[in-house]
Amino acid sequence: MSILTALARLLIFPGILFAVPAAWFFLWVERKSVAMMQGRIGPPFMQPFFDFIKLLGKSTPQRTGVAGALMRAWPLIAVSTAAGAVGLLPVLPSSGGFQGDLILLLALLEVPSICIIAAGFTSRSIFGEIGSAREAVLSVSYNVVFLLAIISVAASQHTFRLEALAQAPATSLRWIGILAVLICLPAKLHLNPFSLPNAEQEIYSGPMVEFAGPELAMWELSHGLEWVAATGLVATLIAPQMAFWGLSALAFVALSFGIVLLLSALAAATARLAIDTTVRFYWQCTIIFAVLAVSSALLMRLRS
Amino acid sequence: MSYEIPMGPYHPGLEEPYKLNMICEGETVKDAKLHIGFNFRGIEHLAETRNYIQVIALMERVCGICSFIHTLTLCQAMEKLTGLTPPPRAQYIRVIMGELERLHSHVLWAGIAAKLMGFKTMFMTCFEIREKVMDVLQAISGNRVNYAMNRIGGVNRDIQDPLSILAMVEALENEMTRTIIPIFTTSKTATSRCAGIGVLTTERARSLGVVGPVARASGIGQDLRKEAPYAAYAEMDFSVPVVPDGDVRARLLVRALEIMESCKILRQALAKLPPGEIAPPGDSSKFSFVTGTATARVEAPRGEVMYSVSWKEGARMPSRVHVRTPTYVNMPAVRFMVQGARLADTPLIQAAVDPCYSCTDR
Repeated sequence: MSILTALARLLIFPGILFAVPAAWFFLWVERKSVAMMQGRIGPPFMQPFFDFIKLLGKSTPQRTGVAGALMRAWPLIAVSTAAGAVGLLPVLPSSGGFQGDLILLLALLEVPSICIIAAGFTSRSIFGEIGSAREAVLSVSYNVVFLLAIISVAASQHTFRLEALAQAPATSLRWIGILAVLICLPAKLHLNPFSLPNAEQEIYSGPMVEFAGPELAMWELSHGLEWVAATGLVATLIAPQMAFWGLSALAFVALSFGIVLLLSALAAATARLAIDTTVRFYWQCTIIFAVLAVSSALLMRLRS
Repeated sequence: MSYEIPMGPYHPGLEEPYKLNMICEGETVKDAKLHIGFNFRGIEHLAETRNYIQVIALMERVCGICSFIHTLTLCQAMEKLTGLTPPPRAQYIRVIMGELERLHSHVLWAGIAAKLMGFKTMFMTCFEIREKVMDVLQAISGNRVNYAMNRIGGVNRDIQDPLSILAMVEALENEMTRTIIPIFTTSKTATSRCAGIGVLTTERARSLGVVGPVARASGIGQDLRKEAPYAAYAEMDFSVPVVPDGDVRARLLVRALEIMESCKILRQALAKLPPGEIAPPGDSSKFSFVTGTATARVEAPRGEVMYSVSWKEGARMPSRVHVRTPTYVNMPAVRFMVQGARLADTPLIQAAVDPCYSCTDR
């Protein structure tokens, strides 16, 4: 892989140039599909982009000191790490060079969540702090399943390289892993029934309560990028490998779109669960998945 | 370490302004203090400056959801002071409007409860059905919120074609049986948010004197439509749903069952609507009152509404109009309902009382 190709992948597709419009597109798909399921018209196609531009144009109260600097920094860190995670997705086949690393991708995917927790506490709002505490508890709960799923899939294929993982033949363990990741995605993306950290009716959207203007625009963008990265990760694991790169890209986008629709349907069909029910759910999932993963791994070892 | 978290007076989870200061430890609420009075408009004083025609229009503005019930109660009190009795057809029309308003209120409440659970799809469904209830109310009265139906001694508008209204009511009943009631009683995420939370025991409910669906969900089978029938309720065959559990789920169940009972009453009233006048003959703008105080009680969607009206003979304006609304009686119970509850459940617990501060603060 030449340096130019690598740069093109990081900056154009599936990198920044693709990821940012895709983030707005996925946000629109989510809002539009939920609206249609609820019998509403929903927002126009360009609405997430307009929201972003409008928020960028707003002035925010001047915050001084370390807290002010941090409140400006957290959304920027969240955006850059989420964009980096999208850039790492091995949508196009390559021949050597930087192929994307699973552990780096997982770390980058986790940073926006950490930024949200930190942002809530930095804002010093009681609602932000409660939201951050909920996000922290939620994060600990679903991440066990999420990481266990990804890592056991990777370990079974003897590789932590994303591209090699994407090209490896599908096994039963891989499908269990994909299912487990799908179960974790609503919590990762703060969707119903696991939307409790940003519950509007209880804690005024939690950690985001003190953010406005360009900072809020960055949070919205980071949320959109998380959508692209998280759905893209699942799409990468499901997508069949094609000889022609255009078809691979198309399959990636189509699968991501399908996952967005699936998650939106789940969000529209459920109420928000309370924190203890959510934690219980994910720990039960952890036990079930741990049993399945260990038994599948043992079976695979015995067969090989 | 405990901390105090304010909910209100302006909060996305509240329909109207009031404040609940909660003392929490972690996500658990230890105690709560309630502050009301943010919506005070001085309506009772204004009533003393309006004549017997104007005061009906004024009291209709006490509440946007149960506007009919307020004028009905006021008119019933004024009818006692004027000695007028509404004709049977007017009594039936009052039952029909009262039950449609109950449907409207309960469906609206179901939507708000769904929104507080984060169940926005259900919220949209409820509000879509509420629109249809309002269409029926509009078909009868010409208005969607303040119906201007009541007058002293009868009603202002007749139901010309009861069969068409009956068809609309049956369509509504089918839709509610298909959507709201099964989702609220079977959806796992919805019931997990309601079961066992905000419990008000029968003893506590009795000692606090709660009324309406809150009392019936705590095992107290009180309903003025049965115990002290007014309008044409004595001629209706219906039952009063009572659930003993006292939690939010019980309040939800009581209201869901009341929706079905309201449809039953509506079908009977529309089918048996007697012929005749809708108001007593004579000049509808001149009434003579006797000196005294009259009270009237009506079972509003949220519970018992009581009006006490004082008049002096020969006067055109009341000397005192006092209103007691169900929310004023029910809200002290919220403090006991939220003690030990999760913070996430508090908006739903307070909403399960179906508070109306427009009525309470007046």
